[in-house]
Formats: sequence, structure tokens, C-alpha cells
Amino acid sequence: MRKNSPLALCFHALFVIFMLAPLLIVCVVAFTPEGYLSLPTRGPSLRWFKAIFDYPEFIRAFRDSLWLAALSSTVAIMLAVPAALAIARHRFPGREALTTLFMSPLMVPHVVLGIAFLRFFTQIGLSGTFLGLVLSHIIVVLPFALRLVLAASYGIDQRIEHAAISLGAGHATVFRRVTLPLILPGVVSGWLLAAINSFDEVTMTVFIASPATVTLPVRMFLYIQDNIDPLIAAVSACLIALTAGLLIALDRLFGLDRLFVGTGKG
Amino acid sequence: MSHLVLEGLGKSYGSAVAVEGLDLSVERGEFVSLLGPSGCGKTTTLQMIAGFVPVDRGRILLDGGDLVAVPPNKRGLGIVFQSYALFPHMTVAQNIAFGLEMRGIDKAERETRTLEAMALVGLKGFADRYPRRMSGGQQQRVALARALVIKPALLLLDEPLSNLDAKLREEMQSELRQIQRSIGTTTILVTHDQHEAMALSDRIVLMNQGRVEQIGAPDAVYGKPASAFVASFLGKTNVLRGTGDGSGAVSIGAFSLPIAGAGAGPVQLAVRPERLSLAAAGASGFEVRVTSRVFQGAHWLLTADSAAGPLILMRHNDGQPVPAEGETVTLSFAPSDAALLAPGDAR
Repeated sequence: MRKNSPLALCFHALFVIFMLAPLLIVCVVAFTPEGYLSLPTRGPSLRWFKAIFDYPEFIRAFRDSLWLAALSSTVAIMLAVPAALAIARHRFPGREALTTLFMSPLMVPHVVLGIAFLRFFTQIGLSGTFLGLVLSHIIVVLPFALRLVLAASYGIDQRIEHAAISLGAGHATVFRRVTLPLILPGVVSGWLLAAINSFDEVTMTVFIASPATVTLPVRMFLYIQDNIDPLIAAVSACLIALTAGLLIALDRLFGLDRLFVGTGKG
Repeated sequence: MSHLVLEGLGKSYGSAVAVEGLDLSVERGEFVSLLGPSGCGKTTTLQMIAGFVPVDRGRILLDGGDLVAVPPNKRGLGIVFQSYALFPHMTVAQNIAFGLEMRGIDKAERETRTLEAMALVGLKGFADRYPRRMSGGQQQRVALARALVIKPALLLLDEPLSNLDAKLREEMQSELRQIQRSIGTTTILVTHDQHEAMALSDRIVLMNQGRVEQIGAPDAVYGKPASAFVASFLGKTNVLRGTGDGSGAVSIGAFSLPIAGAGAGPVQLAVRPERLSLAAAGASGFEVRVTSRVFQGAHWLLTADSAAGPLILMRHNDGQPVPAEGETVTLSFAPSDAALLAPGDAR
């Protein structure tokens, strides 16, 4: 492999700094002892982290967000696996149209989706419910789940399944013992991406969430409309630490490059 | 009653016919190859026997029972694919034991039979290895063991050696033959490699465009090709144009020889290059002019022009003088070395 020239190294360094700087700044600001957003010049303080516990709304919103992300991404992946296998294996009329339909939430602006869901849920009596929130998130995160499972499904040599059938395995056994393990990297990464996107979604959720069902990003958004203080930086720092921890754990378990680049080999 | 009988087997994809009117009887313990160019229907035939492609017409009888209505997971056949198709997330032992597990065989017997199968294919000590950490040849052995451990009624091999390099392929061929002989499993091999088919099979089924061209032992099919297609597909051959006199004799120029079944008018004879010999001085034969001469170690390969058409001939490197380029020589061949090709069977 060729060594990078000093100029290229400089460019890469700047690029990485540009990507990481906002995250770093937020984390540093979270440790300020002051009452306003500033760098902690008088030494670090945990004042604003302690302050989070004075706002039970944040804790509750965090818990709701986790539930929402877990539920919607799990349902989305359960829909994505059979859909992806059908699309990857079979040629049937409307196959292209179906794929596009499943991917369409990516193309519709979330503001539009938010307004549409608000109207729709009011119509069918789901407005302001947690169920409504889960349903709308399933639709928004489905493309992420489908895309990654689809990529994994295309990579399967169908003769491996034929071999299992010839050895006496029925449909259910083939799926459980052969197909699912083979697409597992796609399933796990699809689920993860779906969960992250659900947890992160604010543009659409802000329209659907009611005071009883506020997700963490929406809660944060509402909070900074009224107050600008380092509390929000402390919450952000906690989220960054949590996400980093989760990714490190997944990397140890599966190997992240395998999940997202998807070589398909175990 | 033959072990496996294919009766008028046929398959179409839309208006395209993949296999048509295939009749074949295979005896117990026999090794039969389906040989032909790609798209000849040999793989489709194997897939129909395995049950992965539905049968449109005809019957597949195994020991007298019709297989067509039996789902593929109940047929109890062993299959080895060109791509090995091993389970990448399972170890060698788990791969081999899979079929036994599906049959509900208890753990202790599973282990014994898995170890036996591994010994049979020469993979002792590989039990805990994952397929991705093995060479192509080793993976193919695992696939073979996995197919054989269930004691299948039939062993189906779909181009099993095509992914291996030439030297390994030859080794595996003789080993495969030896394993098949020792356990006596009736075997159907699909291949496009004529050498593989000839080296391994008791009988060859030569297929072209969905139809059987010829069925027979390798030397019989090679020596007496039934059609120009068989003659040209199986090894190198010469198709010589001659004239029949209507009374069972064919003449090429001044060279005349008796050929049973030859009609009057133009006929075509298939003669292998190694069966064309230089005529002794004064003996009858037909004249050819050598156009090129290539040395290939054990033999010389010559091309020549003649009144019967262009031809190739082979001279063993036995110390005798070899005709030079541009030289005119007289060739002859024995009537028994010529196969009469069906009339109108254009090349």
C-alpha cells in the first residue's frame, strides 16, 4: 500500500477533526460549572450531570425513547426479513414497485410524514398514543432494516439451502438453521441502524408526540426552546457515551466492519 | 428392475424446452455421467431428480416408486454441488452431522458415523475446522462426506470438481471413483468435462439441446459416436466425406472400404486422429497433403488437406520419421475404426 503524502495526511486529519469537533465541544461544555454554555475554565464540574436527575421528564423521555426504538426496530426487522428474502429470491410482478414502496419513507420529507401521521392518527383515534408513535417509527425505520437485510440476502448461495433440504431439513428448519445464520450480520446491523434512527428521530416525532409520550430528542428540543444552559450538553454527553459504549460492545461481539461492510463470512 | 429409471422426462421454461423425452435406466451401484455442453439440460435433469426443479412430463422411478410427488427433503438423496455449498457457520463435523441430525439419530451414533465419513474422504482431524479455513479440495471432501453420511439411495454430483485446479482434479477423480466403488452408491455425475466423464463413469449419457444423443460405455461412445455432435464433442475427430456405392462400400478417392449400413451417394465417416495410419508403400489409401506439424512430446499432431476434407492425425513419437509440412502422404484406416454418421447430420 502506498504511503499517504503529507498533504493527504493533513487533509485526512482536518476531515476527522471537522467530524469529531462538535461532539468533543459538547462533551467538554457539559463539564462546565457555569450557568451558561461555556468551556470549563475553572476546572471540571459534575453540576449539570447531577441536574439531569432534577428533571424526571428527561429520565422518562429516555426510557420511552429506548422502548420506542427497541419495539419499532424489532417489528421493522421482523417485516424486513421475509420481505428481503422474497425480493432477493423471486421474480414476481410488482417486485420493483414493492421494493420502492418499502424504501419510500427515505424519500418523503419527515416534516411531511409528521403532518400526515398527525392527521391520520387523529382520524383513526390513535393520536397522542404510544402505539401511534411505534407504528409511525416502524414505517420510518423500515427502509434501513430492509436495505441491510436485502444486501445480506442477495449474497446467499441458494445451493447451501438446497444442500440442507436434500439432507432432510424442512422449510422451518432450513430457515432457522441455515438461512437466518447466513443473513444474521445483515439482520443485526439492520436492527441496529433502525434502532438508532428511531431513537434519533425528531422532525416527524415532534408532530405526533403528546405530553404523555415525549421522546428524548423531542424533550431536548422543547427544553432548548425555553432555556439555553449546559444541562442539554450534559444530556448529549450521556447519549454520546451510551452510543459509544453500545458500538464498542457490538464490535466486540460481531465486529462492526463485518456488520456494516457485510462480507457475509463468519 | 433397474434402480433408477427416468421415463420420458421433460421440462420446459415457457416455450424453451430444457429437457425432452429423456429415458434412462441406471443399475444399482452404477456410475453414470450426464455429459454435454452448457445449456444441454444435464443440470436441469439432475435438479429434477433432486426435486429442486418440478417435473413437467414423465416419471422418475427409484426402486419402482415414483419420486416426482416426493418433496426434496424426503427423497433421501445425497448431493454435492460445484460451489461445495457447505454451511459456513458450522464446523466440518457439524456440517457432516447435519443430515443425521435431521433424521433424529442420537448423538453417540451421529459422532461415530461422522468420524467414519471423515475417515472415508481422508479428513481425519478436521472436525472442528470451519470451511472457510480449508482449501477447495478439502471443502469438496467435506461436501462429499456430508452427502454420503446419510447413506443416500443416490449420490448426485453437480460439476463437483470444476472449481479445482487441474492437478487436484485428477487426484480427486481417482479418489472419487475409488470411494464410489468401495461403498457402491449409485451415482449420477453432471459434467461438461469429457475427460472427467470418461475417467469416472461406467456409462456416459451424452446430451445436447435437451435430448440424449447417445448412451453407452465411455470407450464405446468414444469409438463409435452415433452422431456428428458426439464425434466432435468427445475428443478430437475427423469427419471424412466419402461416396457410398449402395452395396455397402464407401470410397474416398481411390480408397474403398466396406462400411455396414452405408447407402448410396455422399456419406460421412467419423475417424479418430489416432486411428488414421500411414499406408505402407503400395497399399491402398487416400492422399493427403500435410499443412502443419506440431510437436507435443509424446506425439506429433498433424493437420492435412484431402479430397475428403481437412483432417488431423496423430503420430506417436516412436522414433519413426514424421511427414514434413507440405509433404504428400497416403493414409488408410480399418473399416472398424470408422463410424458412419447419420445422413443429414450436418456438422
